[in-house]
Amino acid sequence: MTTTQSRAAVSNPRPSSQWLLTLVGVVLLVVGCLLPWAFVPAILGNVTVLLYPGAMQILMIIVGAIAVFFLLLRTGRFAAADRLLDSARGLRALSVTAAAFMVLAVVIIAMQAPGLANADPGVYVSLVGALLMVAGSFRMPSDPKVDPITVHLPSWVEIVVIVVMLAIALFGAAYALGQEDGTIFSLFLLFLAGSVVALARAGLFSWIGVIAQRNRRVITLGAFAVAFLFPFTQNGSDANMSIATQVLIFATTALGLNIVVGLAGLLDLGYIAFLGAGAYVSAMMSHSAFATIGWKPPFIVVVVIAACVSSILGLIIGSPTLRVSGDYLAIVTLAFGEIFRLTVNNLDGNNGPDLTNGPNGIPGIPELEIGSFNFGDTHTLLGIPLGRFANYYFLMLVVAAIIITIFTRLNNSRIGRGWVAIREDEKAAEAMGVNVFGLKLFAFAGGAFLAGMAGSIKAHQDVSVTPDQYIFLESAFLLAAIVLGGMGTVAGVLVGATVLKLLPEKLRFVADYRLLTFGLLLVLMMRFRPEGLVPSRRRALEFHEDDTKLAERIEEAHLEGMTKTEGRA
Amino acid sequence: MQQRSIVRLGVPLAVAALALSACGSRDAGTSSTAAGTKTVKIGVIAPLSGGLSALGLGIKNSVALAVKQANDSNAIAGWKFEVAAEDDEAKPETGKNAATKLSSDDAVLGVVGTLNSSVAQSTVPVLAAANIAQVSPANTNPSLTQGADAAAKKRPYANYFRTCTTDAVQGPFAAQYLLSVGIKSVATIHDKKTYGQGLVDAFTAEFTKGGGTVVAAETIGEQDKDFSAVISKIKPSAPAAIYYGGEYPQAGPLSQQMKSQGLSVPLMGGDGIFDPKYIELAGATANTDLATSVGAPTESTEAGKKFLEQYKAAGYAEPAAAYGGYAYDAAKAIIEAAKTALKDAKDVKSARTAELTALGKVSFDGVTGKVAFDEFGDTTSKVLTVYKVDGGKWIAAKTDTFK
Amino acid sequence: MDQFLQQLLNGVTLGSLYALIAVGYTVVYGIVQLINFAHGEVFMIGAFGSLATWTLFFKGQTGLWVLPFMIIGAVLASVAVALLLERVAYRPLRNAPRLAPLITAIGISVFLQEAVRLFYPGAKSALPFPQIDLVTGAAFQVGGITVRRSAIFVIGALVVCAVLLWFFINRTKMGRGMLAVSQDPDTARLMGINVDRIIAVAFAIGAALAGVAGVAQGLQNSNIDFFIGFMAGLKAFTAAVLGGIGNIYGAVVGGLVLGVVEAMAVQFIPGTFGGSPWKDVWAFVLLIVVLVFRPQGLMGARVVDRA
Repeated sequence: MTTTQSRAAVSNPRPSSQWLLTLVGVVLLVVGCLLPWAFVPAILGNVTVLLYPGAMQILMIIVGAIAVFFLLLRTGRFAAADRLLDSARGLRALSVTAAAFMVLAVVIIAMQAPGLANADPGVYVSLVGALLMVAGSFRMPSDPKVDPITVHLPSWVEIVVIVVMLAIALFGAAYALGQEDGTIFSLFLLFLAGSVVALARAGLFSWIGVIAQRNRRVITLGAFAVAFLFPFTQNGSDANMSIATQVLIFATTALGLNIVVGLAGLLDLGYIAFLGAGAYVSAMMSHSAFATIGWKPPFIVVVVIAACVSSILGLIIGSPTLRVSGDYLAIVTLAFGEIFRLTVNNLDGNNGPDLTNGPNGIPGIPELEIGSFNFGDTHTLLGIPLGRFANYYFLMLVVAAIIITIFTRLNNSRIGRGWVAIREDEKAAEAMGVNVFGLKLFAFAGGAFLAGMAGSIKAHQDVSVTPDQYIFLESAFLLAAIVLGGMGTVAGVLVGATVLKLLPEKLRFVADYRLLTFGLLLVLMMRFRPEGLVPSRRRALEFHEDDTKLAERIEEAHLEGMTKTEGRA
Repeated sequence: MQQRSIVRLGVPLAVAALALSACGSRDAGTSSTAAGTKTVKIGVIAPLSGGLSALGLGIKNSVALAVKQANDSNAIAGWKFEVAAEDDEAKPETGKNAATKLSSDDAVLGVVGTLNSSVAQSTVPVLAAANIAQVSPANTNPSLTQGADAAAKKRPYANYFRTCTTDAVQGPFAAQYLLSVGIKSVATIHDKKTYGQGLVDAFTAEFTKGGGTVVAAETIGEQDKDFSAVISKIKPSAPAAIYYGGEYPQAGPLSQQMKSQGLSVPLMGGDGIFDPKYIELAGATANTDLATSVGAPTESTEAGKKFLEQYKAAGYAEPAAAYGGYAYDAAKAIIEAAKTALKDAKDVKSARTAELTALGKVSFDGVTGKVAFDEFGDTTSKVLTVYKVDGGKWIAAKTDTFK
Repeated sequence: MDQFLQQLLNGVTLGSLYALIAVGYTVVYGIVQLINFAHGEVFMIGAFGSLATWTLFFKGQTGLWVLPFMIIGAVLASVAVALLLERVAYRPLRNAPRLAPLITAIGISVFLQEAVRLFYPGAKSALPFPQIDLVTGAAFQVGGITVRRSAIFVIGALVVCAVLLWFFINRTKMGRGMLAVSQDPDTARLMGINVDRIIAVAFAIGAALAGVAGVAQGLQNSNIDFFIGFMAGLKAFTAAVLGGIGNIYGAVVGGLVLGVVEAMAVQFIPGTFGGSPWKDVWAFVLLIVVLVFRPQGLMGARVVDRA
């Protein structure tokens, strides 16, 4: 458990030529950022000022700072950090990012100004700097690093790291959402992706992952604090809150689906029907002029009814699991999703009883009112106005918190272990006395319950409920959020949901290619990273069965976890 | 361990502190306008991408044309108009995001849109909360202006107006036309959507009142492609015409399949099938099929011709399409009302209520006829035209005022 | 009675279309136990392939002699896409957990739909399909029932394809190789059968039939759009399961049964739950009922449990 063991070996007593080359590149990059990039202020959020960098230039200065950090590591003076991080790989990714960023910036200036004549020398200085960085860093040798799981830092260091990470996440989200300009948003995205890859290459994230594992409570609490504070950064503007609320609803639903798919391993291709059922029940019992049920109970009762109706549907659709499994089940759920869509489309009095108002749906659903708190009004807290969507956002945050708690508790319980056992080998699980059918039904009903809850709020937030919101493509999107983020993990689903809902809103200029990219993304993910962006370790192993190193590490982590719990007990 | 729990509390606080400081920005008034002129924006919410984008872009361009003309003629001294167009992808959820974005912009006075009634149902409440007027060039669902209960009409939102007529006028007009050419037995089919069902209901009421019989009433699903079973079911009742409530993507193939199955009677529909694409899909056997559309034919009136010329001269990439004229009139109505509303106003936000009152009172001759709104926000113009397919084109058969 | 026979004919026509597509699901499933969820899109590509052939080379022609070329165009397009899919997307995942190929298939479905919508000229809305002399046009009247010319083509296409398929599987070396691989791939490999090749052939056969179905659908409905593959694929899968997935003749029978059930539901289910809007619901209810009570399907097939 020694944390700072002084290492005698200094690999590079004198700075090598490639080290110097990279340093020169970094300096040029930063200097270029202090010079103006273009003559026209309308481009890239005004990059025309001398010695007063604009936002895009600041991004490159940040890249420079990270590069300097990596370069310092290579001098061998910071042994503790050097052991953890592979600075050469990080530098390479970073310099490629910088180069790509600068090329794109030049292209944007040339296209929008228009003409290269409008580019100032600064942008070229930075571009040359970035290219020098690429040249330098690609000749640097990699050095071996220590597995982060064996490194223990003082707990305050770990917690500071977490705070910094969360704060960066909050700033990043608030900044990205504030961007109206597609070019700036794309550049920011490039910067973000590039830096994340660079840090991941350097091994920072596997280290942070270990830290997060150790300080799970802190990180959960902190994440909620960030999410809670987000509306306060918006100055009462509803435009971004509307998107944020949709992201939350989407994420909450995806979490419910994650129980069925991620934990129990039952592929459900009709999950959107449960969200729809909740929304429809809530709409039918609302005070809308189009509502078809005369009984108007208080909202909390409606939520319970909506969730129960959903979970009854879940039980019905789950019941064939006794007889069918695997791909067949996927198709049964897909057929069920279609039956739901067609049925709500039909029940308008012409075809079957008038319940759902047919393809027109139920519009004009009034705002929620809990006690005297009307969700449609703007409320002011600490001098910051919080609009309609912020209210729904907070409500959804509470629901999300409940669902995440349920999810993690279930995951670590007997039931969760039963699900995982079923997922891995149904026959073996049954032989070991796991109640397979009961647990499968419970997964379906439980997942549906959560979706129904989310749906009942969605109806009010959306103001109208129509069948075309609950089509197969939406189920596919939910599934994609889970696959993209990582099956069976909370963080993964949150990341996946955010990416899938946020990007199309902000990248409107590629709106028509959105679905095309989405399809391609699913195929590529399955081919190259089937475990998702934030995979659970166990899941990753399933997809890479022959990776013995990964298996060993998981075993180690598991053992360490066991000894820790024992020690505590 | 105690130290650790202190840190634990500290994390959220530290993040909070960071968050609250995250609201500064660098640029100091880069977006200054010319001295003395203030900007007022007219929003557009329409499908600018996806399958219906041809109609949506026509709407957007027509609004841009109206705005350009207002600026050129300096319609309101001291104010400059601007278009703020948002894409709704023909989806309610996206439409709501667009409406939210426009309503949080203090310079928006009115919005032209949407194309789809279903999208309007989720944009109107959002804009109503901010008192922003919405004038639709294309929504035909009666409940948007007259409420859910057709028997007891009640206007749900005071900020909603439209320049096109509703299903409640088009259906009966079609019924009167068929009766006038001696067709007494008709089978109806609709696609269950607000538009189609509304048309068929209004048609049926007027048709039976005038002495005709509806010999069969069927519905189809919104994604059906093969209509043989439905056609076989209708055929024995030998109707003299089919009245279809719905839009051209299904009406075209329906007409084609009807005739190839030996049911050679005209198919009639509303403005949803009044599109060149219909004839393309229905093929050579589409001759004598009928459609009603609102207003006199755009190219037949002086104002209409002028609009199409100006539109062409402005050099937009996409044609004005079916709703261009209505969108132009809608934008003109907003500008017309703004003349009273903005006269003494110091900013746009405070003029919004006055704008709504003024919109209710506008009255001018637009591209599609007289533009004025009744107490529900519906257009008072009730001029309609019946078109007939003849040699691969829609030919105006009869223009009349609906009584 | 006339109405019954009329709807029976309508049902058989529709069912023939389902059957042609369903064979593709069943052949592939029988050999690699993979639900090629993107098969509906292969069918759609076939329809667009024939339309493209017509637009590029025969625009304005309506003679019957064009039809063989259109069918060849359709088959080439769908087979090419199917082989590409197999090679690029499915083969690398052959030993992955079962979720992976299914999600890949969904991704491919969306991708192909969008690719056609965005890059095929005019495909953002439905496109009219060429009318061919003798195959389309005014219907015959046989007794009390109306026979559409396109219906004869669709049913004929199914009969011809079924005969050719039977011949291929039972009388050629490649066909018997397919049977061997479907029974035991490992042993088949030991016997010197190139399993990779057999799998590719299975994809190609399914795609060829789907291509023919694409032409049939175009002629029958007079128009095609980028979304036809979704519903048709889902229905054809239902048909394949109905007949017993893995059993080729089951797929044909399942397709015909499903088509007839749909047509009859429109005509004979009384009250508000009948009629066209509910026919798809009844089809899917039938699927679920069959899966729950007789997972091996009507014709029976070996039940593969890959859970």
